[in-house]
Amino acid sequence: MSQLDTLKSAIKDRLGELECVIGWEQGYDPLHATPLFIRTEADLDRLIIGPLAVHNLATYLTAYKGKKIGVVVKGCDSRSVIELLNENLISRDDLVIFGLCCDGVVSQRKIRAALPADPGFVEAVDISANGLKITVAGQTAMLNMTDILADKCRTCQHPNALISDVLIGENRQSASSTSLACQEEFEAKSDAEKFAFWQETMSRCIRCYACRNACPMCVCRDYCIATSRDPLWVSQDNSPAENFMFQMIHVSHLAGRCTECGECERACPVDIPLMLLRRFMNKQVQDVFEHQAGTDLEQTPPLLTFKVEEERINERGW
Amino acid sequence: MPAQDVRELRIVGFLCNWCSYGGADTAGVGRFSQPTDLRIIRVPCSGRIDPLFIVRALLNGADGVLVSGCHPRDCHYAEGNFYARRRLELLKRFLPVTGFDARRFEYTWVSASEGQRWQHVVTEFTRRIHELGPAPNFNPASEMDWNALALHAAQGQTCPCHG
Amino acid sequence: MEKFITTTNLTRLAEELAANHRVLAPVATGCTVTFRRFQPGMTLDLHSRMAAVSAKAGTFPQTETLFLVKRDTTEKKPELIETLPQGKNVVIGGRPCDARGKLMFDPVYGTEKIKDLYFLQRRENTIFITLACDRPETTCFCHSVGSGPADPTGSDILLTLVGDGYVARAMTPAGEDILKLSLFTEAGDKGKEADAKNAKAREMMGQPHDYSSAPATILARFDDMDFWQAQAAKCISCGACTYMCPTCYCFNITDDDLGLNSQRIRTWDNCMSHTFTLEGSGHNPRSTKAHRLKNRVGHKFSYYPDLHQGVMACCGCGRCIKQCPVGIDIRQIVKAAQEYSE
Repeated sequence: MSQLDTLKSAIKDRLGELECVIGWEQGYDPLHATPLFIRTEADLDRLIIGPLAVHNLATYLTAYKGKKIGVVVKGCDSRSVIELLNENLISRDDLVIFGLCCDGVVSQRKIRAALPADPGFVEAVDISANGLKITVAGQTAMLNMTDILADKCRTCQHPNALISDVLIGENRQSASSTSLACQEEFEAKSDAEKFAFWQETMSRCIRCYACRNACPMCVCRDYCIATSRDPLWVSQDNSPAENFMFQMIHVSHLAGRCTECGECERACPVDIPLMLLRRFMNKQVQDVFEHQAGTDLEQTPPLLTFKVEEERINERGW
Repeated sequence: MPAQDVRELRIVGFLCNWCSYGGADTAGVGRFSQPTDLRIIRVPCSGRIDPLFIVRALLNGADGVLVSGCHPRDCHYAEGNFYARRRLELLKRFLPVTGFDARRFEYTWVSASEGQRWQHVVTEFTRRIHELGPAPNFNPASEMDWNALALHAAQGQTCPCHG
Repeated sequence: MEKFITTTNLTRLAEELAANHRVLAPVATGCTVTFRRFQPGMTLDLHSRMAAVSAKAGTFPQTETLFLVKRDTTEKKPELIETLPQGKNVVIGGRPCDARGKLMFDPVYGTEKIKDLYFLQRRENTIFITLACDRPETTCFCHSVGSGPADPTGSDILLTLVGDGYVARAMTPAGEDILKLSLFTEAGDKGKEADAKNAKAREMMGQPHDYSSAPATILARFDDMDFWQAQAAKCISCGACTYMCPTCYCFNITDDDLGLNSQRIRTWDNCMSHTFTLEGSGHNPRSTKAHRLKNRVGHKFSYYPDLHQGVMACCGCGRCIKQCPVGIDIRQIVKAAQEYSE
């Protein structure tokens, strides 16, 4: 049985006891998937998995508090589930986790850059193990998976779901590399260059909050301090400084909690590379607290605890 | 560094009520001379300081931000400064990726009796900020700055990681 | 009037206009294309892809300063400074769906009783030099909402790509004035080529979907929250759809206190947000995302057309579909309401 068929039969077995199971289906064109809420066996026919199933479905979990639901997770998504459990934001008893062993997902931006014409003109997509054969505006292009793999997959250390009731597929190898050249290049820039970079990218931010709402760890939902008038953290003025202030709120509220699923960056309609901030913050969290969010069910987020003697914080002499 | 010699810069200080605020007072009572660039905001505990206060200050045009609380183990509320230490350390380490010069932010511990230490901290920090000069404005200050920025962005800047 | 302009000269036109206009044009920055304030030295990016955000900001900027307040430290009364938009604007390289967006604003912001001077002044002083589309994207449906890939409505000049330049047709006197510039040459028989191209693009869009039953069928589902909850299940309540949209005209007004200088600003608001209808008492009539999605779809395809002679408050640009982080398709929602049976 294929991985998809195994998954379908596993969901079928449990569907009766669940409000719904969240998976993916084909979206508005052959190049895009969209979340699917499976309530009946008929819905199950539409289920897909694979490189187009990019969404982290853990984002929906907190909305179903008190209801028993199922969710399909990739390795990275499972980290978000663990983090939500560790923070007592969802209950394990109410959740049936269908874990996948994942071969990685695509980056729509990389596809866009690699295609001979705008992916909006897509006519057909043929998915194979090596990559995607895409027909766009009458031209067919073969894109290798290695070229269009999302950045997070290039350094993925947890391709197999870390928590699951049913684990589907055979264990995949984690990526050999743990660093991204583009990240290192950016970090090596001068302060002035980085400053100008954020000024420019923030001048095109429209503060639609797609980054926030796509984030599985942004659990304040309708009560985010960014939209509160009292206290007023951020003005409605969409100047670069106010937009950046919002991004700082997002980064700081995720410090030690971010599972690096990349949803913020994927969701951004104006292509702001938000993961530059996330990855850097996570690296600091790793350095100071030896903590990687969502990898262990017994973790406490590092900013919710402390040590009297911090081995890795060097008190600066004054 | 008397104010009349050079243009004053805007340095924001978040000081714990139970220690550093008293320390600054002790320094004043002791007639220790101090630079006058620092604007003090008194807070009940360094644990009250959300790192976003510091980010907000920097984005609003502060040239430097100084946080000072009680020495570890001396917190009036037993553990506020332990939490603060973790948060502030993380912010300090995070700032470089934003392009804000991390030297513009510092955190330290000064007790109520350490007037001399307060004088040293505030003098040194102010000296450092003066060496760095006024902070750049995140919002371009004029139409011309905007244009320069937009032009720079539109001229072949490639987007990191999206390649 | 019909003329021809080469690609090189179009850039020159943008540069010349930029001398005494605020020119908005699609420009690539990083890996995205958005409308930016154009200035000499920039490269127009008209064809690589449709700009991520619509050209709405041309007539309705995301932040509009309504007035400034200046105070000094004396007891003097604060000074109020009016900031009605000054100067002329040009939007180059928008698509027909971009140019049409403002038409949906008109019956709301320019009525007998209520005149929104900020919008109307920009509307009056903005020239649209629009580019006809030569191929529909999977998300395009302008032909189903009374428009098309070469619809000149709302544009002053319509450009059609022919060979190494564009056939330019003036739709208004303001457009004609621009075509008189020496950068334009006679179109000759290129006009016929342009017609053929436009006809082909329209043909590629296929049969339009008939939305005429949408107002009534959506209204019939008004109290059916099960329907809306199913439609909104995957919505994450962000504002991407609303902010991308050429026709979404809702705004928020807030005061920014900046010490001795304050400003009252008007900013884009979005009905997907919980705070959009949050009342002072704490009560929220649209407390869930299902309520909010119902409003967005209902407003565009039912309430608005009911008030304004059946015109849908949608240009069919498809940005809300392709920029939605979870791929919600507004066409499917309307269709589901139209095809609903007990």
